[in-house]
Amino acid sequence: MPELRGTTRGPVLTRWFGTENLHSLDVYEGLGGYGAMRKALTTMTHEQIVDEVKASGLRGRGGADFSTGVKWSLMPKESPLPMHLVVNADESEPGSAKDRYLMENSPHMLLEGIGIAAYAIRSHQAWIYIRGEYDLPFARLTEAIGEMRAKGYVGDKPFGADWPLDIRIFRGHGAYICGEEGALLESLEGKRAQPRAWKPPYPAQKGVWGRPTTVNNVETISTVPWIIENGAAAYAGFGTEKAKGTRMFTVSGHVQRPGNYEMEIGKTYRDLIEGLAGGALPGRTIKAWWPGGSSAPVMPGDLLDTTTDLDGIKDVANLKGHPIPPLNMGGRTFATMGGSGGVIVMDDRFCAVKAAHRLLQFYAHESCGKCTPCRVGGNWAVRAYEHILSGEGGPEDIAILDRVQEGLQGGRCLCGLGDAAGWVIASSLTHFRQEYEEHALRNFCSAEKAAVNA
Amino acid sequence: MPSLSEHVMEEIRALPPQFPDVRTAVMPALDLAQEELGYLTPEAMSEVATALNLDPGYVEGVATFYTLFHTEPVGKHRMYLCTNISCKLRGADELLEHAMRAVGVKDFEQVSSDGLFSVEAVECLGACEYAPVMRLDHAYHHDLTAGKIDALIAERRSPLPLREGQGEGPKPAAAVKAPRAPRKKKSDA
Ligand SMILES: Cc1cc2nc3c(=O)[nH]c(=O)nc-3n(C[C@H](O)[C@H](O)[C@H](O)COP(=O)(O)O)c2cc1C
Ligand code: SF4
Ligand code: FES
Repeated sequence: MPELRGTTRGPVLTRWFGTENLHSLDVYEGLGGYGAMRKALTTMTHEQIVDEVKASGLRGRGGADFSTGVKWSLMPKESPLPMHLVVNADESEPGSAKDRYLMENSPHMLLEGIGIAAYAIRSHQAWIYIRGEYDLPFARLTEAIGEMRAKGYVGDKPFGADWPLDIRIFRGHGAYICGEEGALLESLEGKRAQPRAWKPPYPAQKGVWGRPTTVNNVETISTVPWIIENGAAAYAGFGTEKAKGTRMFTVSGHVQRPGNYEMEIGKTYRDLIEGLAGGALPGRTIKAWWPGGSSAPVMPGDLLDTTTDLDGIKDVANLKGHPIPPLNMGGRTFATMGGSGGVIVMDDRFCAVKAAHRLLQFYAHESCGKCTPCRVGGNWAVRAYEHILSGEGGPEDIAILDRVQEGLQGGRCLCGLGDAAGWVIASSLTHFRQEYEEHALRNFCSAEKAAVNA
Repeated sequence: MPSLSEHVMEEIRALPPQFPDVRTAVMPALDLAQEELGYLTPEAMSEVATALNLDPGYVEGVATFYTLFHTEPVGKHRMYLCTNISCKLRGADELLEHAMRAVGVKDFEQVSSDGLFSVEAVECLGACEYAPVMRLDHAYHHDLTAGKIDALIAERRSPLPLREGQGEGPKPAAAVKAPRAPRKKKSDA
């Protein structure tokens, strides 16, 4: 077992982390695990569970931030076809590792959540779509499902309830786009993973194999047992007025204690980065940070007091006098977003242009190629970055980046990958314009200079 | 001569009933084929298609979309080094160069002359708190350094058996081919 880096004994998700062999059913159950699933399946109706989760205020932790209870309530009450819960364990957003942390350390917490959620949406078969590289989480989940089966927690009558339940695992094969809901379902159907154009019917009517489907993130589902055990009100006791609960953050990059931290929503990124993760490396200054994976627009280092509230973080007032980047989310401007909770920290020794270049390489490489702005724009941006960084660039390259970021945003792409690529360019170019100009106009890198002089 | 052994074909033919649709069996089937051969030859893909009663073009279309499927020979031990942002901030680029030099390959297509190693830069492996990270033989290696890479290579070059938990890599690739141009992007395929 790798050394555990992150929260142990946190308030909700990580409350038992650090317990030896927490991944085994006996240990998990000995601490009180599976009490919530027993309670749900033997004493609650489908509607009662959905209502409880709605009342808790839990919102999806996969990035889209949609009410989990509301999503569940969109599933049909009756269906001639089987219905499915699909757990999104594809976690491939740069900077995010929290789903892996949860599955590796407490696979039964996810599986118990699956048992409850499947019952709530009237599904008898749940699928976990896990990225192919996650060897240990896959092994842990496979073993854990075996333990459940031996106890009858999956099978014909879990906890004596008349609710046959099956949990299956499907391994992905390396493609970021598989994390996107429609692409994930395509992939689970054995196809090349390309997002679907969601008009009605939506997944709740016609998802995987044409059957009613709910897709939820690993962390979202892992939170459910705690809510059922302790009640919606207790969960809603954490967080802010509208964004309830705690959530997982992965902190990586230039900090003293990288790790996966559970923190109450509404605290600040300073609490997380300087408090839990130990702050900048000795003698260095934080220059930039991405609040929620590489797709969440980058923020300047002096804005760590920004709230982790999932609504509040979007407010451009957070930028406190910094220029406002031309960001567009469904026609609305915003400062940045909570995203996947993957917080990437970069200090003054690293070049902001090089960082953005690397991220654009990622988006260009991972574009599924279905929409023109995304397929073509990403590569254009990469070439412009290469030109700027080679010392041969000029103002025209900055102008190209500006055009590309605009073309990627504002509903011109089918899925969020295109927008995210646009946000990376727009936010980096706005907040670190000086570095772009140094490179493009004077072939000079202040970060490199800072590193050499250190 | 068929390229896949009868028992692997047997396993592949047993897959479809486990899924609501036969196409969901394609990736698990390609996994079995790749495990046996090290990479997916055109013959293997068409044998998979035959076993599943699907069009070979469809199977190849799936195989070429996903980065974990290899349609060219790879080393017995393939090093997947993350070079995405969190790892890059902690020195991944230098480690990639080091790894390639250490096994003597010039690009991601080349296999080391002893057939043991190939190297590939990959996107975020989802273990950023341990950056820089590498996946090798179905296990992650954390807080990577040049020294750790050297040690992992040395262990695999020595004739001693692998320590427990280190996993078994795919079988050696058939022939070592000359280096070629970087692989085409999957979406061009
Ligand atoms: C390009 C792209 C990649 C995504 N990757 C993931 C992912 O790896 N894991 C995840 O849970 N959600 C991911 N999402 C969000 C999913 O589409 C979906 O909203 C989510 O799984 C729903 O679960 P939730 O409601 O519990 O958050 C991604 C979205 C996009 C556009
Ligand atoms: S935005 Fe990009 S990744 Fe998303 S569907 Fe279009 S081409 Fe594919
Ligand atoms: S960036 Fe390397 S593991 Fe995430």
